[in-house]
Amino acid sequence: MRELEGKNILITGAGGGIGTAALEKLASNGGNIWACSHKKSDEFENKILELAEKNHVWIKPVYFDLKDEQAVKEQIASIAKEKLPIDVLINNAGMAHGGVFQMTSMETLKEVFQINFFSQIYITQLVSRLMMRRKRGVIINMASVGGVEAAEGYIAYGSSKAALIYATKALSKELGNMGIRVNAIAPGLVNTRMGHYKSDKEIERVLERTVLNRMAEPEEIAEAMVYLASDKAAFITGQVLVIDGGRLQS
Amino acid sequence: MTNREKYINAFVEGLEIAEDKVVGLEYQAIPEWDSVGHMSLVACIEDAFEIMMDTDDIVDFSSYEKGIEILKKYDVEI
Repeated sequence: MRELEGKNILITGAGGGIGTAALEKLASNGGNIWACSHKKSDEFENKILELAEKNHVWIKPVYFDLKDEQAVKEQIASIAKEKLPIDVLINNAGMAHGGVFQMTSMETLKEVFQINFFSQIYITQLVSRLMMRRKRGVIINMASVGGVEAAEGYIAYGSSKAALIYATKALSKELGNMGIRVNAIAPGLVNTRMGHYKSDKEIERVLERTVLNRMAEPEEIAEAMVYLASDKAAFITGQVLVIDGGRLQS
Repeated sequence: MTNREKYINAFVEGLEIAEDKVVGLEYQAIPEWDSVGHMSLVACIEDAFEIMMDTDDIVDFSSYEKGIEILKKYDVEI
């Protein structure tokens, strides 16, 4: 029995490092997927076609720019018109940013918050209304240990992820009586292009504080998505699942 | 089913109230139309008319009459 058999999942940031691993895990566990990405490419479309055939599920590409609320709304409305229930929403899209407080412009701060927080909240508003009709649903937000552990040079990124963690907990309370579970995953360093946004020296410093002394593989984060999306996690809500190789406890 | 029937039915289903209570109803005038009931009502209206309301309209939706006015924005005539 596959964990997500017959569940319909909407995931943002499906073209990124964790997103690609997530598509593979979600599909191999029987999930049907609306794979949202900001950029159309043959590579992306071929990948999802291959995954869908291999796993006997459907995967539909959906394209929008998270900075464009009208486009987000149009695409979610278009999905709603398909009359297929959205069982799981995974707010996976995000952007990295490093820069000390005095060197971070308001424009940059707003851009990071738009991608990492406001757009996630907006999509959640739209999709949770669809879930409310059925009185069931699962929402998973991709947070970060950067939103838990304050660090110099990450005022924009860290604050945006901290905001998402707060929203996860608050929304779990607001949506719980509608049968909707809301949780977050907070990875540490992940072996993706975004994970390598930090300099080698900085990565080395983080790994020194990481008990398991390595980066996470994106598949390890995707496994947590599968678990939280599945009925095995039916009594889990308002939680932040930290997957950081022991970094926060060190 | 006419649009008016669909609209009234959304109140009946969303707020779980009798049909004869619907016309003229205002937000928070009855226990069923609280903030939780409001979202349930909005969900039923969106479902009935296949629309997706803007957040500002959800906030402004303060009565049976106001809802009719707001729905005109979505090309729904009650």
